[in-house]
Amino acid sequence: MDMLRKWAFEQRAMTAFLFVSSVLTGAMMIGQAYFFVTIVDGVFLKEQSFEDIKPLLWGLLAVMLLRAVLSYLNGRTGVKMASNVKRKVRRMLLEKMTRNPIQSALAGQSGGKVSVMMDAVDEIDSYYSKYIPQVIQTSIVPLMILAVVLYEHVYSGLIMIITAPFIPLFFIIVGMKTKAKSEEQLDKLAAFSGRFLDTLQGLTTLKLFGRAAKQRDLIEQSSLDFRDATMTILKIAFVSTLMLEFISTLSIGLIALEVGLRLVVFESIAFSTAFFVLVLAPEFYLSLKELGSAFHTGRGSMGAAKKVMDELEETEQPVKWGTAEVSIPSIELRNASFQYRDGFSLKNIKATIPPNAQMAIVGQTGSGKTTLLHLIAGLFDPSEGDVLVNGRPRSDYSETAWFDQLSYISQHPYLFSGTIADNIAIGGAKGASRADIEMAAKKAGISDLIKSLENGYDTPIGEAGRGLSGGEKQRIALARAFLKQPSIILFDEPTTGLDLKTERILQQSMAELAKHSTVITVAHRLHTIKNADQILFLKKGEIVASGPHTELMKTSMEYREMVLQQGGTVI
Amino acid sequence: MKDVMVVIKLMMAEKRDILYSILFGVLAGLTSVGLFAMSGYMISKSALAPPLYIITIMTATLKMFGVAKSISRYAERYFSHRATFTILSNLRVSFYEKLVPLAPGIFQKYRSGDLLARIVGDVESLQNFFLRVFYPPIVLVIVFLSTIFFTTYYSIYVALTLFAGLILTGFIVPALFALRQGKIDSQVREERGALSTDVTELLYGFRDLKIYQKLDGKEKQLGKSADLYVDGQEREGIHAVFNQSVNALVALMISWFVLALGAYLVTEGELAGLFLAMLVMISLTVFENATPMALFPAHLEESRHAAARLFSIVEGKSEEEGSSDQLSKEKAYSMEMDGVSYTFLGEKRLTLENIQLNIVAGSKTAIVGPSGSGKSTVLQLLLNMYLADQGDIRLDGSPIDSLAQESIWERTNVVLQENHFFFGTIRENLMIAKDGLTDQEMETALLNVRLDSFSLEDPVFEKGENLSGGEKQRMAIARAMLKGAHVWLLDEPTSSIDAVTEKQIYDQLFEAAKDDTLILVSHRLTGLETMDQIIVMEKGSVIESGTFDELMNKKGYFYEMKQIEKSVLL
Repeated sequence: MDMLRKWAFEQRAMTAFLFVSSVLTGAMMIGQAYFFVTIVDGVFLKEQSFEDIKPLLWGLLAVMLLRAVLSYLNGRTGVKMASNVKRKVRRMLLEKMTRNPIQSALAGQSGGKVSVMMDAVDEIDSYYSKYIPQVIQTSIVPLMILAVVLYEHVYSGLIMIITAPFIPLFFIIVGMKTKAKSEEQLDKLAAFSGRFLDTLQGLTTLKLFGRAAKQRDLIEQSSLDFRDATMTILKIAFVSTLMLEFISTLSIGLIALEVGLRLVVFESIAFSTAFFVLVLAPEFYLSLKELGSAFHTGRGSMGAAKKVMDELEETEQPVKWGTAEVSIPSIELRNASFQYRDGFSLKNIKATIPPNAQMAIVGQTGSGKTTLLHLIAGLFDPSEGDVLVNGRPRSDYSETAWFDQLSYISQHPYLFSGTIADNIAIGGAKGASRADIEMAAKKAGISDLIKSLENGYDTPIGEAGRGLSGGEKQRIALARAFLKQPSIILFDEPTTGLDLKTERILQQSMAELAKHSTVITVAHRLHTIKNADQILFLKKGEIVASGPHTELMKTSMEYREMVLQQGGTVI
Repeated sequence: MKDVMVVIKLMMAEKRDILYSILFGVLAGLTSVGLFAMSGYMISKSALAPPLYIITIMTATLKMFGVAKSISRYAERYFSHRATFTILSNLRVSFYEKLVPLAPGIFQKYRSGDLLARIVGDVESLQNFFLRVFYPPIVLVIVFLSTIFFTTYYSIYVALTLFAGLILTGFIVPALFALRQGKIDSQVREERGALSTDVTELLYGFRDLKIYQKLDGKEKQLGKSADLYVDGQEREGIHAVFNQSVNALVALMISWFVLALGAYLVTEGELAGLFLAMLVMISLTVFENATPMALFPAHLEESRHAAARLFSIVEGKSEEEGSSDQLSKEKAYSMEMDGVSYTFLGEKRLTLENIQLNIVAGSKTAIVGPSGSGKSTVLQLLLNMYLADQGDIRLDGSPIDSLAQESIWERTNVVLQENHFFFGTIRENLMIAKDGLTDQEMETALLNVRLDSFSLEDPVFEKGENLSGGEKQRMAIARAMLKGAHVWLLDEPTSSIDAVTEKQIYDQLFEAAKDDTLILVSHRLTGLETMDQIIVMEKGSVIESGTFDELMNKKGYFYEMKQIEKSVLL
């Protein structure tokens, strides 16, 4: 809320304009009333000729034109202000997301972030396009009208001063009284609104159990319940508008009575003054009432703003980089620890990975294997301890140089919208030739499949690479690595679900890639584990044993148990 | 427009509330015009120093108008909103009725998961149709015509001016803007789509983008599409503001013209000066009713779009073809597939190719294979959820297309990969299995799947969000067991359940299914030793079949898969 306001007032020129145009709008309202009254007075009582009032008519026309122009400019400023904030907020969010690698790299949160970036940002629009301009206008216009009325006829002004506070007061009373009730109703609403979706999603299940017809009545019933609950809330809102209208009608009536009496009985004021006051009074109460609806609009943006704020307040932990070049690296983890706020952690990891080493990381689900792989990859820095590359901290090296040496093949490689060739070429440094790409695809065992497609390498693969199976995506990722020929390959081995062909290709390809590179694998297959020079056995974020397979089988009871127990003999 | 007609037809079921909305809307409009006309007249009359009682009477009338206006505004709001929500309810029900015969095939046609959310959203957005598109113009016209009729009594010229104003602000100006509105809207929608794709790619592909150093480029691209989208929205917003301002200006101009015309008529002696203020007040007030018409094009466009999208989904012909043959109720049936091929809509690759399958009544069959090999599709075809493109499927010897879909579903216990649980209680979710289930039966079923820690009263959140994957699977198995049919079709029913519990549940399940036909799609290769038949699939074809021992001795595909499974840790 504070932030929303701050963003509004940061746009000084715009807010200043809103103030100025509100003052002008107020002036135009008063001017319009003045011209109108004078013209009527002129022809009605003073019996002026049409020629006499012509200048007044032109004046009125000008005032009306200006009023319309001002209302356009005011609205336009609001829209522009909203656009500026939305642009700015999206940029801030974007920066946050790209600079804050940990949360982005850890899976499972992306969906929520997409909706923050899209919907939540859009929802703060009305705060700027409607609420702020309205608040500014309402804080100025009634005061101007009041001042003019006080000047013209002090008693009517006093009636306004006395009655006006009843409007906000009434807002507060109604607000307090209905808050509890409407919150209780809101819970109901939330439950109802999901019901229809729930039923649609369960339609297959319903049909399988022969319940689809019965559910129709349930939808109807819950929709009608929904209606009744909503109406309860709306009724409160409508009644409060009704009361507000009564207050303002009553007040206007008071003013009319007072002015009328003075005009007729005491003959102490002129017709024009009385008329003028009567024309302005409704405008006065109207702008006060509008503040109420503006508050309502503004409140809608608050929830969205909170979501955006939460996202922006995430602590940033950017990875540090230097400028040094990387030659074929040896990697050392020296007491490296890493902690993520929901308890995800790696503790005190010690390991040395010489060039061309074959390293396997094993451990139960949730033991931190993938996190360790991310740490080695340089997707985030250790919170304690060091990652050394060729004896120097990794942060000494340039980001580009480091990632140029690295490939990462995850269980779910991401395919971007573009052609197959584009998706493989993303692995290569710059401008890989089609021949290189085809060669890489061949090595990854996917060239036959690509050739069988109508458009071959130019086949578009859609958003998130839809249309390719898990095994095929894996092979595209392999092709990326073959094209890149990195000196370090990080590999998250798939557990199940691959076809035999992909299994074989994966094994062959990994062996091929391993000839010239360091390979660090989150390993699930005994085959990979047995071939590794060194195994890191992780448990709850700590290395409980390390060494080659044969050695671990002898030295680590836990490791031995795990291998024997999980070796396909259960049940 | 044809879709909008469907909506209007549905709306008409609520005639009474619609009539009330219009009635009170008109009353509110007229009393408000009356209120201001009266005040204009009163002040002018006062100037002529009438007796006090006249002023008193007029003030009282004024109050009455004020109160009547507020109350009818309240009633209008009340009835129009109530009508809106009732109409929404009718829409939901009618849409649901249209959707039911199309499920589940429709979900395959639109594979994207947000289809349903979109349906719900579109129905919701139609609430603006009645509230902002349908009845306000009717009220507007009635109020205007009555007012114009009233003013003819004083000056035919003023009346004509007001009429011209009605045509301009109520119809011509909105119509002019409607043309551009549609274009801008569709542009913005496209820009939004582009942004959404970029955001999704950046977030889901973050790691790959980072490592392949494409993050900066993507960031720039995203920044650009974000700006484009906001630019579009800005155009849209400014267009709406312009639209409103122009309409308001036209209204003001008309009132100005009424004043100028009135003043002229007064000076010419053709109109009593007493009525001038009143006429101008009438004009200023009556156009307040017309200003909301400026937003009419936007709302119309939105409703039209929502209606078109909704009804395009259910437009296709129903898949139920009135086949009426029933499967025998009391016994397990056999299943055969002969040369069956199937392709998912919009995909080139065959999902299933020339499948031969023979499942004897009362036998136990497992289907295994890598993910994406077509295992689940076989089950879905056997359930007649989709129609095979080629080949014959026979259940109990009868061609599947001669059988009523409902009859197949009634005779099978099905556990799918995704089983839906409804908002409510465990009891409610189990009750859908069969009519007349007792608590005791349901509790036994829970015990059978080792969920006896749950009570029947325990709440289930939407989509079973408060249940773990394993709990949902077990609940689905319990539900299938309660149904008590004699054919079981199980699609990876235990993939999230640990091996020990899985074994226990399978023991219960196979005991219950002793004499029944059972097909189990399985991702694990363990526990298949007792199966009568194992079918191995790859890339949409059956590549091996036989008993466990036969397949192991053959040392083919199954054998190799088994070797790999043995060597996979964790």
